[in-house]
Amino acid sequence: MDFVLARVINGIAMGSIYALLATGFNLLLLVGGVFQFAYPHVVVLSMYLCWMVLQATGGNLALAIPAAIGSGIGLSLFTEPLFRPLTKRGAIVATFVLSLGITIVFTDVMGRQIHRGVPIGFPTTLTGKEALIRFGVATLTMGQLATILGSVGAVVGLLYFLYRTKRGRAFRAMGQNPSAARLLGIPTLRTRIYSYLISGLLGGISAVFLAMTLGAAAGPLGSLLAIKMFAVAVFAGLGNIRGGLIAAIILGLAESFAIGYIPGDWVNVIAFGMIMGVVMWKPEGLFGLRA
Amino acid sequence: MAKNSVLKVDDISVSYGPVKALRHISLEVNQGEIVALIGANGAGKSTLLETVLGIHHVDSGTIRFMGEDITRTPTDRIVASGICLIPEGRGILSLMTVLENLQLGAYHLEADINQYLGRVSHHFPVLGERSKQMAGTLSGGEQQMLSIGRGLMSAPKLMMMDEPSLGLSPVLVAELFKIIVDLNKEGYTILLSEQNARKALACAHRGYVFEIGSIVLSGTAQELASDPRVHQAYLGG
Repeated sequence: MDFVLARVINGIAMGSIYALLATGFNLLLLVGGVFQFAYPHVVVLSMYLCWMVLQATGGNLALAIPAAIGSGIGLSLFTEPLFRPLTKRGAIVATFVLSLGITIVFTDVMGRQIHRGVPIGFPTTLTGKEALIRFGVATLTMGQLATILGSVGAVVGLLYFLYRTKRGRAFRAMGQNPSAARLLGIPTLRTRIYSYLISGLLGGISAVFLAMTLGAAAGPLGSLLAIKMFAVAVFAGLGNIRGGLIAAIILGLAESFAIGYIPGDWVNVIAFGMIMGVVMWKPEGLFGLRA
Repeated sequence: MAKNSVLKVDDISVSYGPVKALRHISLEVNQGEIVALIGANGAGKSTLLETVLGIHHVDSGTIRFMGEDITRTPTDRIVASGICLIPEGRGILSLMTVLENLQLGAYHLEADINQYLGRVSHHFPVLGERSKQMAGTLSGGEQQMLSIGRGLMSAPKLMMMDEPSLGLSPVLVAELFKIIVDLNKEGYTILLSEQNARKALACAHRGYVFEIGSIVLSGTAQELASDPRVHQAYLGG
């Protein structure tokens, strides 16, 4: 029983991070008009920048956490002018190709340039490896608790923004029908840039939580997370933000139980299995496209 | 002329790549008028309305709204200055509620929009009753009412309507034109593009006839309705 509980805690913690990643990705897809496969790379590079601040300041979390969030926003906004000419022409496939180019550059920076390519580790002041609560073998660390609560908070905040504010309504209108949104006088370029800002903010928050739950990062982490994020988005239905939240928790739990019960390294098969299953039997995704 | 010009289009040309969509179009809409644009599908009526709203690049010519040059102004600023377009096909956001669609109409307004909401439900009681419903679940006629209501939410000085009667039953078409006349009597200035020339000329003050990107005829609605060429081509002989 304790063992099951441990798997559930791990699964929900990882699932909440997948939820943040898929939400940021969906937001960029719907509102920004880009297929940003490099979004997790933006997040992992923010982890690296957070780590660099920790190194430089002797582990000052009060500086490192804002640095991670600021990097997420900054890097996300940095990609906007690159995508803009493609988005203007509505060339969504071309944005995907460009994002693959960005993944290569970012992965190279993380895998070779920073820390001479050696994987980075975060101090226990951030991860809080000591168990906060113990139920037999099941433990809940500070990092996991912060990740779960923080992700719920971030998602609730985003949904409030989307469904209760004027600018959020404009976001959804852009997602549903960009040309109708434009006729209504919604400033389309400015709204697109806001979508980069908000997904950058979510990305920065994810970077902090990834550092807390994983405690380490390496060059290939971005691409690994990109596949998970893509699996969640496709499984739920591309652009379906609320469906993505559920799919993310499903993936997190499925992986966590696979690690616990299946010998060997079968974890990554689950994400691919989700994509393949959906593509074969329900191509529009579990919850349908764009809700 | 002592009339207050709301919209003045002067010698506008627009092209889609190599294709000339509008050639040297000039027209005027004055305060309190209903002006009808008639002509076949593809004659350039929709292109003109979209060009006024800043959607298309203008090759040459100028567009003035309330005396100000808006030829190169971005769409969101044009809408904020008081022009709304009720687009062909209605442009309803079907996965949002009726209320949210109406609120989006007033996107650029900072003031309290409740008075506008009240006015729209007064015109279209059905929109008030169904405000929480998804817009996509409304009937075709109700969606057209929503599209017009959403236009009213923007407090427009000029309402442009693109083929509002398209796809409506004869009963609803009659109701629609009654609404257009009522809105005009309340003081709204309306530029109406319609394939249903008979109905459009019956309610309009003046009209322009479009043919392959040019204006071939213009005049008061009575003049146009009694012109043999208009009669033959658009009023069924």
